[in-house]
Amino acid sequence: MNLRIKFTKKNYLRYISHHDLMRLFKRAFRRADIPIKYSEGFNPQPRLSIANPLALGIASCSEYMDIELQERMSEHVFMDRVNEELPDDIKILEVKYIENTKSLPSLIRWGFYEIEFKAKNLKEVEELKKLIKNWLKEDEILMKKVKRKGNKVIEKELNIRKLIGNVVVKDKDIIDSDIKKDVNCIVLNCLLKAGDKGNLNPMDFMLSMDKYLNLDIDWDTVDIVRLALFIEEDGKIKLPIY
Amino acid sequence: MIDIEKFNKILKRVEKPARYIGLEKNSIKKNLKDMEVKFAFAFPDIYEVGMSHLGLHILYNLINEEEEIACERVFAPWVDMEKEMIREGIPLFTLESREPVKNFDFLGFTLQYEMSYTNVINMLHLSGIPILSKERSLEDPFVIAGGPCVYNPEPLADIIDFFVIGEGEEVTLEILNRYKDFKKSGKDKRDFLKEVSKLEGIYVPSFYQVSYNEDGTIKDMIPIIEEAPKTIKKRIIKDLNKVYFPEKLIVPYIEIVHDRIPLEIFRGCTRGCRFCQAGIIYRPVREKSILKLLELADNLVKNTGYEDISLTSLSSCDYSQLKLLVSELINRYEEKKVGISLPSLRLDSFSLDILKEIEKVRKTGLTFAPEAGSQRLRDVINKGVTEEDLTTAVSYAFKEGWSNIKLYFMIGLPTETDEDVLGIKNLGYKVKDIFFNQPKEKRKGNLKITLSASCFVPKPFTPFQWVGQNSIDEFNRKINLLKDNIKDRKITFNYHDPRLSYLEAILARGDRRLGKTLIKAWEKGCKFDGWSELFDYDKWIEAFYETKVQGDFYALRERDLEEILPWDFIDSGVSKEYLIKEYKKAKAQELTRDCRLGCTGCGINKSFSGGVCN
Repeated sequence: MNLRIKFTKKNYLRYISHHDLMRLFKRAFRRADIPIKYSEGFNPQPRLSIANPLALGIASCSEYMDIELQERMSEHVFMDRVNEELPDDIKILEVKYIENTKSLPSLIRWGFYEIEFKAKNLKEVEELKKLIKNWLKEDEILMKKVKRKGNKVIEKELNIRKLIGNVVVKDKDIIDSDIKKDVNCIVLNCLLKAGDKGNLNPMDFMLSMDKYLNLDIDWDTVDIVRLALFIEEDGKIKLPIY
Repeated sequence: MIDIEKFNKILKRVEKPARYIGLEKNSIKKNLKDMEVKFAFAFPDIYEVGMSHLGLHILYNLINEEEEIACERVFAPWVDMEKEMIREGIPLFTLESREPVKNFDFLGFTLQYEMSYTNVINMLHLSGIPILSKERSLEDPFVIAGGPCVYNPEPLADIIDFFVIGEGEEVTLEILNRYKDFKKSGKDKRDFLKEVSKLEGIYVPSFYQVSYNEDGTIKDMIPIIEEAPKTIKKRIIKDLNKVYFPEKLIVPYIEIVHDRIPLEIFRGCTRGCRFCQAGIIYRPVREKSILKLLELADNLVKNTGYEDISLTSLSSCDYSQLKLLVSELINRYEEKKVGISLPSLRLDSFSLDILKEIEKVRKTGLTFAPEAGSQRLRDVINKGVTEEDLTTAVSYAFKEGWSNIKLYFMIGLPTETDEDVLGIKNLGYKVKDIFFNQPKEKRKGNLKITLSASCFVPKPFTPFQWVGQNSIDEFNRKINLLKDNIKDRKITFNYHDPRLSYLEAILARGDRRLGKTLIKAWEKGCKFDGWSELFDYDKWIEAFYETKVQGDFYALRERDLEEILPWDFIDSGVSKEYLIKEYKKAKAQELTRDCRLGCTGCGINKSFSGGVCN
């Protein structure tokens, strides 16, 4: 019995890590007496997989996870009981039993973000629109990636152009997330690759944009919210719960 | 409340911001405006360490049960957070209401280890509260302290307004209730101190005067006001089945040091190891009944969702019905996948049998504490463990499939010779031989032996409170002796920094004259001294030099039995005569039996009722 869950991670709880979030759900499920299935073996773990780890400090209106239950329970009862045990800033919005047994993380393709920031070298929204348009015409956008293997630090240059989908600079009055915005900030939406077939962290995207467009971003003001995650199933891009 | 915009900004700049956000399951946020008394509970270390401390959870919930009193938590911010707070002008604040600590009526520190003292000073400073007690006014909170370290409170005598000696569950509420009356009375700070000094277990250092002999030892310590008692008797809880224990525990978002349910099964210890302070100050032994423990466990599992229950005490295998308790807990929680763990193991097959049951198939490492390498020295410290116990236990463990063994020792114990030191190595090699003497087909796993040595620190209220510590050079010589002699890739040797143990010894047995040294060390930047990456020994040495305090006087000097010790005015319930008798028996290598087998006359049953002694 696989249950797909859509949930939020907002406000201060954006500061807990992926592992913290897994632990939080495990404990909430136990408090709520959810008959979750456990793995076999010496160290049984609840069967739970979160779609795509969210970097520390990024909020989200739509995270997903699949869990496996020992017995079927009604979606409403499940949601009410678990929500009762969750903190205000993490709440389940939707649940649905799914047939597909493919692992959720392997289906994830794109993340859609809303990013708010201030930059010293930027006065007009129109100006940024032009800059981004030209920037995305390039075939190659290089980013330095530092990897650690044991004691070795390996630095690699990565072309991230293909990991960037659409980027839209928002006009002041249309904003998607329900999180309050500073009026002096610039807000943009961007679609970035997510999942195990290519993944771009929105913070890395911002660092690249800052470097390429010479914006001089004030990092204290950067605020990132994930608005949506998309999966690919039967060759089609869809929402994980549709 | 602090400036939230600034707070939000600095969270983005620091490592592990979740240390500072609060909002955990079962944390309690009251409206501070409606409260008669506001209590800030301070742990002078980072969140992950402080949240692992059971006493915090007990007192936090106990105080918050009172309708008109709020208890909120505050921890030492890590250095990155401290830097940002100073830069943005954010004072130290509590996690629940994000309220500046300065606006509370009480700031209560728990002192678990001496090397957190500079953090106490630092936290006062970050709160904007004057460091010296005499410089604080009624505008500032009363700064109080409890915990094991306050059995010698003297190094902090100038800083803390009053100390709570012993178990805090009852006396804390007595203090807070008196404060309610005091608040209405319009009297001054000193009046309140006088009032609380009448309570058993409360020590107000400013009401006492200490004078010294020419050789630097204490001449006398006298109360300078009528109300202050000559000796301060520790507080204990008579019946642990009736004492408050929370049914809920705050469940942290981030991983803390002990991330599980701590189920306290008893207090005290009957073993009588002569180096152990906890074994004396937590007397008498008081057990909780199985029924009570099962009831507590049920509530805690239900309210926290934790995946582990740890059976805590000073020596959990001594619980009189351990086997029954463990099997009952396993029966109840196996299906829910809640595990049981036993943190302190003794070297006997009984312990291992229980461990086998708990761990079922999973085999993690096993840790034993023979404490000393030779039988002679184990007799000196009354560790009541023989080499045969160790070989039996280890053979059994290997047979059952464990292959990762850790052994804890101390070096620098009284009367120690090089032969005793090398005994540590010999034990390690013996354990190795036991493993390889098994027929090849029966050996399970990959053998790993860790020998870990800490440097002995003599503590107040132990039979070794009079002895001189080994010098740093002597410690290093002994460490090198072991390092040079342990040459086996199956055996790893770890040791503690002797310089830290030296400072710990000074603070553990220090007097009030150390207050200025502590402040000087802090002024030079010392904090988080227990964290090796921040520990700066040279600054401490400068601080001693500049305040004209001789560290060796406190750490290395052997005391005369007649000498007045800085903590003599505290009554732990165990008589000084008993400690002297034990000290003499130690030198004669004579054992004292476990007092469950018959009273050994420590005196605790004369001064206190309650526990197994009566």
